[in-house]
Amino acid sequence: MKQISAFIKSVINSYSVLFFSQNRVLGLILMLVSFFNPASGFAGLGCVLFSQVICRLLKFYGDDLQTGIYSFNSLLLGIAFGAFYHVNLLFVLWLVVTCGMVIVASILLSQRLGKRGLPMLSLPFILVFWMVLLAANSIFAMGLQQKSSYLLEEIYNGPGHLAGVEGYFAVALPKYVSLFFRALSAVLFQHNIIVGMLMSLGLFIHSRIAFSLLVISFIGACLLNSVIYVYPEGISYYHLGANVMMVSVAMGSFFTIPSLRSYLLAVLCIPVVFIFINALTGFMSVHALPIFSLPFCMVNISLLYFLTLRKSTGKLQLTQVQHYSPERNLYQFLNQQNRLNDLKYLKLNLPFMGYWTVTQGYNGSITHKGDWSEALDFMIYDDEQKTYQYPGTQPENFYCFNKPVLACGDGVVELVVNHLEDNPIGKENLKENWGNTVVIKHAIGLYSKVSHLKKNSAKVKPGDIVKQGDLLALCGNSGRSPEPHLHFQLQATPYIGSKTLRYPFAWYFSRKGNKNSLQSYTIPAEGELVGNPEVNAGIKKAFDLQPGYTARLTQENGNTEEWEVFKDTLGQCGIYSKTTGAAAYYINNGVMFYFTSFYGDKKSMLYYFYLAAYKVIFNDAEELEVNDEFAVHLSQNKVLLLLQDLVAPFYKFISIGYQSSNLVQKNGLSINSKQFDKRNNKQLMDSTICIDHGSLQTISININGSHIKAQWSTEN
Amino acid sequence: MEKLQYEKPYIKKLHAGVMNKFGTRTGVQPVKNIDGISVKSLIETYGSPVFVLSERQIRKNYRSAYRAFSTRYPKVQFAWSYKTNYLNAICQVFHQEGSWAEVVSGFEYRKALGNGVPGNKIIFNGPGKTNDELQMAIENDSLIHIDHFEELNQLLTLSNNLANKPRVAIRVNMDTGVYPLWDRFGFNYENGEAWTALTKVVNSGKLQLAGLHCHIGTYMLTTAAYGIAATKLCDLAIRCQTQCNHKIEYIDMGGGFPSTNTLKGAYLPGNDTVPSIDDFAEVITSTLLNYGFANTDLPSLILESGRVLIDDAGYLLGTVIANKRLSSGKRATIVDFGVNILFTSFWYEHQISPAQDFVPHSENMVIYGPLCMNIDVIRESINLPPLSPGDQVVVHKVGAYNMTQWMQFITLRPTVVLIDEQQRTHVIRTSETLQYTEEPEFVPTHLKAK
Repeated sequence: MKQISAFIKSVINSYSVLFFSQNRVLGLILMLVSFFNPASGFAGLGCVLFSQVICRLLKFYGDDLQTGIYSFNSLLLGIAFGAFYHVNLLFVLWLVVTCGMVIVASILLSQRLGKRGLPMLSLPFILVFWMVLLAANSIFAMGLQQKSSYLLEEIYNGPGHLAGVEGYFAVALPKYVSLFFRALSAVLFQHNIIVGMLMSLGLFIHSRIAFSLLVISFIGACLLNSVIYVYPEGISYYHLGANVMMVSVAMGSFFTIPSLRSYLLAVLCIPVVFIFINALTGFMSVHALPIFSLPFCMVNISLLYFLTLRKSTGKLQLTQVQHYSPERNLYQFLNQQNRLNDLKYLKLNLPFMGYWTVTQGYNGSITHKGDWSEALDFMIYDDEQKTYQYPGTQPENFYCFNKPVLACGDGVVELVVNHLEDNPIGKENLKENWGNTVVIKHAIGLYSKVSHLKKNSAKVKPGDIVKQGDLLALCGNSGRSPEPHLHFQLQATPYIGSKTLRYPFAWYFSRKGNKNSLQSYTIPAEGELVGNPEVNAGIKKAFDLQPGYTARLTQENGNTEEWEVFKDTLGQCGIYSKTTGAAAYYINNGVMFYFTSFYGDKKSMLYYFYLAAYKVIFNDAEELEVNDEFAVHLSQNKVLLLLQDLVAPFYKFISIGYQSSNLVQKNGLSINSKQFDKRNNKQLMDSTICIDHGSLQTISININGSHIKAQWSTEN
Repeated sequence: MEKLQYEKPYIKKLHAGVMNKFGTRTGVQPVKNIDGISVKSLIETYGSPVFVLSERQIRKNYRSAYRAFSTRYPKVQFAWSYKTNYLNAICQVFHQEGSWAEVVSGFEYRKALGNGVPGNKIIFNGPGKTNDELQMAIENDSLIHIDHFEELNQLLTLSNNLANKPRVAIRVNMDTGVYPLWDRFGFNYENGEAWTALTKVVNSGKLQLAGLHCHIGTYMLTTAAYGIAATKLCDLAIRCQTQCNHKIEYIDMGGGFPSTNTLKGAYLPGNDTVPSIDDFAEVITSTLLNYGFANTDLPSLILESGRVLIDDAGYLLGTVIANKRLSSGKRATIVDFGVNILFTSFWYEHQISPAQDFVPHSENMVIYGPLCMNIDVIRESINLPPLSPGDQVVVHKVGAYNMTQWMQFITLRPTVVLIDEQQRTHVIRTSETLQYTEEPEFVPTHLKAK
């Protein structure tokens, strides 16, 4: 049953992926309109089915099959066959044979180009159909009888003249509107306004951003032509649709994250495509071959390759994770910009226990200057803001003296200085500025250094492997240190005196008054009271979901849902709902658990869990609030979301906040979270997850006026 | 010129001794204010005697003790020892600071619940827990520290067919090289009982062994004993991990840290002899850190300190009733507070300061309470300036145990006042009344006054 539904989905995807989509409505509309030319419709569908079956038999499984990547070129081939040739017995024979060729070409090209992260687009179709045309037009009889149609003429002759009054719409609609629809329908080798209208509807449903780019590029191309008169009689539908408009959609919204810059890029592509169309038409006409969407493929692939070669991504971002929806790509990108620091940085902790104060921060006024400006000094203060106990004349009177200094991250000890005397209070050793020091190598070009340590307190020696939190030495008063303090810095080389590096701590608690707040991937400022977060073992254990963990959720109405935790090929962990097929990816970094993305059924319990446990910190302090933001596409207000989609690349007005806090209960504790509209603070959702004895117990959620409650049961 | 105060003439025996640069001064200073509030006004408002507690000092003590441990060890939890002072207001100060509750009876347990402490943050100690109390602790998911095999068996019976295993710890006693050896609570380490109890808990499958607990004594004057105790608990924890395949979540080192009161019979004052909390923290944490746990697997460290956190935040203010000469010629001063409310005067030589200016001369004297009982001696020997009836005195470092071990005997128990951080005073327990003490009493009809 599942396989059948997966097969049907992949067939529909083969249609929608023509417009870089996985939208089923769009897929069905495209399938429907392909039958406006029955021969094309049947040939196209036949080719898709044939390719899907062949790929399955040859075991070319995977996402590329499911998303229709392997079969959409076959679809184009079938449609083109139906558009070009009369149906007869040999038509079927050659269709089957060439479809096989397209499958081979698709797999070869997609694998080859995929290694560089490039798409093959419609190259397999173009190459194979050229072969068909060359073969059919050769002196040897193939038995294919070419149709004569308006479109074909146009395709062959390149820039042609716009004519043909067809039906009511052509009369009723302004010239350019009907041109738009015709151009769109030309992608499916048709020139039908109704087809174009249906396709527009489907594309609008699929993506407002992509649709707006279709319109913009259409207007842009017409305007450009009206100014420079490249095509005195107007642009052909086919090139307008299959090349100009498709390039704009692809470059402006699919392969890049939609933004003002991507829109500009899309517009800039128009004249480039003009050049390609004209040049290639001239070139290929020698062989009497139409260029089809070759300009689209060439412009797209070369520009994309060019963009990937940039040294830094800049503000024009390429789509890293493809969701087959410009909106979703954009919202997910914006949402994850600040949320995925765990994947960007090495996780570093503060190099001490308890709460210390930053007495000199980056670019400090005393010694953190010039090449050594990105360093931190730490000391311990008491409630009276003193750093020492009476009388304060000995290093031993200082709170931080003799306190453990820890490894901030995993690494190898590179260098240890351990022999320097601790200074009497008020004296400095300017000869050996850094005093007793331990340097650890964390990665190539990333070293951490702790200085002014106590004499003979080093517990490690060069070459030792240390783990985060291992004891390195004790805080002391050696080197340029008039009173005991801890100096910490990241640097690029293992040497003492190296230039410092700016690098954030993975997380720490910043304490103000008696209240902690979690800071993540930030650099503490001067005067901040900071400590490593304390981790509640119970919450940590409950969210320690290892691959293979399975759970059954039973709702109050008796519905159940089965979950399993998996790890994908990229090493990302996720929960898969076996019952609904939904999946939610998460990151558990040892201090908190947070979801990164959700795919699938928004009625599933997994979706509710995703909303409720969007970000959970493993700490039971009641006053600690975790704040985060949901991706915009999770908005429940669909009308508003539609409006947002239209302007999304330029302006974001929907903002959905998330807040959670943990509350100790009589038994175990609860994670209370809410979702709210950030503009007016209106609450959209509230939920409670109960944890006891280190495992998830229940979840209850109020959303959209309904209350859902479910209970966990696990076997492992 | 202000009129000089009248001084009663007195005769002082001449002591020929070695000269010293301080002359004959005793070093006694008048203590006129507590946290900025005058002793005089406190007594005027709340009567005499009156207990005064300083919230500022309590929080300061807590924070410096917590800092001492938390800057040396990553996972530290304090649990307020209820028996030291279980006035609700005081408990709440500690809970606000982050303390759990450490209780030793059903009465204290209910008090902790009443103070809003979640069940899983209550540690239930003590050798005398009833079946019902254990049941209550199990239901609230509290940490039950088992004292003897009878209790262990009782728990095993109670924990049949429970969905969640009760969390328990075993109390261990051991030789830590100090006298007296505290071996009456818990299971002995040296004779193997502790290990037997531990394996019994783990193997039962019905209880979850969450921690190991010891409390090696009280008013400990040596830090080394804690090092030995921590080593022995670590040994049990590691053996439990390797031999029983069970990880111990926490090690509870109990309390017993001394305040700076001077013990009776001590040669030098407490201020000079008592190790600081930093010294204890250093020994305990370095033992745990260096014992060989992986740093991700370090057990939490729980401390149940009481006395050291509150003793010096408590004051007893009183008034002189009378003076007299004893047959030996020694001066005796009678004050209005007795040993019934200052129980710790049996243990300590409490520092007592006059609350007003006094003459530079001082005299050795005995201070008696107001009770008509021979035992009512506050100080047997103290050098103080002569005090007149009506003069006020301040007794220092009385915050621990007095407000729990005091008794209504002959006199009624006085008011307890808390001075908060903004120097506002709050009554946290009113003085007792006759009606209050008679409330639980019943007189059979035939004995009723006509």
